[in-house]
Amino acid sequence: MQVTVDGTAVQVSDGATVLEAAKRAGSWVPTLCFDERQAPFGACRACMVAVDGSAKPVPACTTLCREGMVIDTTDPTARRVATAVVELVLSELPSAPAPHTELAAVAAKLGVEGPRWPGATHPVAHDLRHPYLAFEHELCISCGRCVRACDEVQGTFALTAVGRGFEANVAAGIGSGFLESACVSCGACADTCPTDAITERLLLDGGNNGGPPPDAPRLRRRLSTN
Amino acid sequence: MDTERFDRTVTTTCGYCGVGCRLEAHVRQGRILSISPASDGPANRGHTCLKGRFAHQFTRSRERLTTPLIREAGELRPASWEEAYARIASELGRIKRDHGPDAIAGLASSRATNEDCYAMARLMRAAIGTNNIDNCSRVCHSPTSFAMRKSFGLSGATGSFDDIDHADVAILIGVNPTQGHPVVGARIKQAALRGCKLITIDPRRIELADYGALHLSPRPGTNAAVVLGLCHVVARDGLTDADFIAQRTTGYEALAELLGSYTPEAVEEITGIPAADIERAAHMYAEAGSASLLWGLGVTEHKYGSEVVQLLCNLALMTGKVGKPGSALLPLRGQNNVQGSSDMGALPDTYTAYRPVSDEATARQFEQAWGVPLSRRKGYTIPQMFDAAIAGDLKAMYIFGEDVAQTDPDTAHVVEALENLEFLVCQDIFENETSKYADVILPASSFLEKAGTFVNAERRFQLVEPAIDPPGGARTDFEIITTVSKLLGHDMGFQTPWDCLDEIARLTPQYAGVSRERIGRHGLQWPVRPDGSDSPVLYDTFFDNPEELGKFAALPYKEPGDAADDEFPLILVTGRVLQHYNAGTMTRRTNNVELVDRDVLEVHPQDAAKLWVSDGDLVSLRSRVGRIELEAHVTERIQPGHVFTTFHFPETRTNLLVGQSADVNTSCPEYKVVAVDVRPVSEHPAYVPQLAVV
Repeated sequence: MQVTVDGTAVQVSDGATVLEAAKRAGSWVPTLCFDERQAPFGACRACMVAVDGSAKPVPACTTLCREGMVIDTTDPTARRVATAVVELVLSELPSAPAPHTELAAVAAKLGVEGPRWPGATHPVAHDLRHPYLAFEHELCISCGRCVRACDEVQGTFALTAVGRGFEANVAAGIGSGFLESACVSCGACADTCPTDAITERLLLDGGNNGGPPPDAPRLRRRLSTN
Repeated sequence: MDTERFDRTVTTTCGYCGVGCRLEAHVRQGRILSISPASDGPANRGHTCLKGRFAHQFTRSRERLTTPLIREAGELRPASWEEAYARIASELGRIKRDHGPDAIAGLASSRATNEDCYAMARLMRAAIGTNNIDNCSRVCHSPTSFAMRKSFGLSGATGSFDDIDHADVAILIGVNPTQGHPVVGARIKQAALRGCKLITIDPRRIELADYGALHLSPRPGTNAAVVLGLCHVVARDGLTDADFIAQRTTGYEALAELLGSYTPEAVEEITGIPAADIERAAHMYAEAGSASLLWGLGVTEHKYGSEVVQLLCNLALMTGKVGKPGSALLPLRGQNNVQGSSDMGALPDTYTAYRPVSDEATARQFEQAWGVPLSRRKGYTIPQMFDAAIAGDLKAMYIFGEDVAQTDPDTAHVVEALENLEFLVCQDIFENETSKYADVILPASSFLEKAGTFVNAERRFQLVEPAIDPPGGARTDFEIITTVSKLLGHDMGFQTPWDCLDEIARLTPQYAGVSRERIGRHGLQWPVRPDGSDSPVLYDTFFDNPEELGKFAALPYKEPGDAADDEFPLILVTGRVLQHYNAGTMTRRTNNVELVDRDVLEVHPQDAAKLWVSDGDLVSLRSRVGRIELEAHVTERIQPGHVFTTFHFPETRTNLLVGQSADVNTSCPEYKVVAVDVRPVSEHPAYVPQLAVV
């Protein structure tokens, strides 16, 4: 079928999502909970776009295309929602996400700088018991990508979403850490995490592994608070 | 690319198992800082396992060989490359002069690139003048190669891993993918969660059995009876594809006659699998719209391993389940390039693409290309090399990328052979059990330090690109092998491995369209036609033999080479775990040892009770040829009467226990059936434990 994205006509197959159409048309849509290795989830609300006939913006990752649909990825209302979502997410973090993370890239592209809402941030909580995988729980934005990577890509079901509201976070097993869980150390969770809430220990303590990366002082500081 | 943290990122192909994950290696200050999966990898599709992703610390281990070592007055000492090369050239030259070229043998490595293996084969054939060249596929999937060539024509999987996504039913026999081939294991698990029915056949209850529809636990060494039983039910209940048998195959009548006696009840008697389960499995497979067969070393490493693969081919031919989407035969190859090393002709009887050394036209073609006369006589296989060394006929060996004293069966026999050699060259990244007997040790490169190609278990050529430099004075295998050849008077004329790949394509019709550019990021599945089009599916219209027909093989069940008796009442099966890779040369030098730091012996609780063994006890494990000690792990994963262990840690020396029994067609060792006696070593038993004979 044919749809129009930001004035460009593109052909998509039946069942294609608005996000796929936008990618095909070369239009950028901000996403946080999306990973093309996983089924669309629709949790983060960053991928809002306008489509003709809908009074409100719709999430691009879970909305299916229909014949002749007209999609506007730069609609001001949709962008305002997306920007507010990212700003709210950032407001819960105790420090800015590292520049290489997907969250930092999305925030930069949307022009979100510091959050305007001071207040409670997630308490710093690190788990470095596994030789390769590290939790930095304070960076978790509950996008669910790690949990779905473990379920849908690896099939090990070692990770779980825990807590509610502001307390929402991720845990391996029943909070026992990677080593005591069913984890097979594949690293799919660290690979998909958009904030480094789960990351590779070798990237954290770079010293053991090719010299410290440029953002090491920040990371060292985080480690020292453990 | 993430320039903030990394100096550069190189896309390459994993050097661990045969899945062939495409990886992004991130480099900083000349070292690997991180590895992530390539999102467009055809086999791994953005995923990889803990070995591919994390187990790269070995590249910068302090134990890496960084300078050649040569033996002088009984001791190894550091030497310059010139000294090492001079010693090799003079010794190999002397032995060739005094004893003839057949007194020298070489081993290529299934861990190395196609170009390394091709160059090694050319070194032995053209520079030395012998067909004494083999590689470690001898001890793993040579039976698969032999059988698939007999039944279908070509030595490789009939389809791709993508067929798993399209299969309604999959039979997994003698393979434990979530441990040995983790990314394919994950793909199978996802397929099972989407509704693909799995039938697992293994003496151990493997993880995927928990996701499957049916698990069959045969006694080790009785696979042939299991498959014959499945075929019997298919034939008896009219589940065959009569049109396919009539039009595409030959030899069915003889098989049909043989099958008559393999009733489910008879098979239950031999295998211990309930007759009803054989019936169910046969119906599930034959009635499925599409069904695939996957197997591993649990099928091949037996006395009649190659025959079992032929029987599996029978099952697919009877039901017409080959050459169609979702209906593929997928042998899961163990090592990253076990397919390619054999494809490249690093075998004693074949040139590239399995063309016999005795074939006059092929031999002439290579004589013309290489400018030297070539032997038409088959060389020694690996086990024959050791026998010849002990007999005194083989005087020198050049082994690269393989630790035969650790991984080959009957360690005592291998060591005797190595000690008997006049001259041994080992080329590796670490010193190992084999190099203890070497006269010259050459420091070589890991897969992250070299260029070339691997062929994965789907017959897919994939590019290998260097991410980092070899450490210290180490050099790439390709440079070393081509230099040695030049010093022996045969200049191969290659500047880079890519020149070698071009020669392989030029001299091999099946790889005619292969080139570095065409392989690109997505690979090419052989046969590759001159226009560069490749072959994801084989045999969709014809089989690759002169008659173009699939060949049935009427092969009866025969007893394995070893059996439990009063003295050795338990059957030992050996295998791998997820966290380590084969001899552990690489993974033991990474933090993977924090996850698993020893080999253990799995014992069923019933046997443990009879033997007075508790979880964690040290036990003695004795076979007809050797004895080792290790820690017992009491678990219901294993059946009563069987025990299981891995062979990742050299101090365990599991292969001391394995005897000389081997596949009748390919001499692949029978690693999977070893009768043993187990008892606690902490105290002397007051009585000899009585076990039921299995």
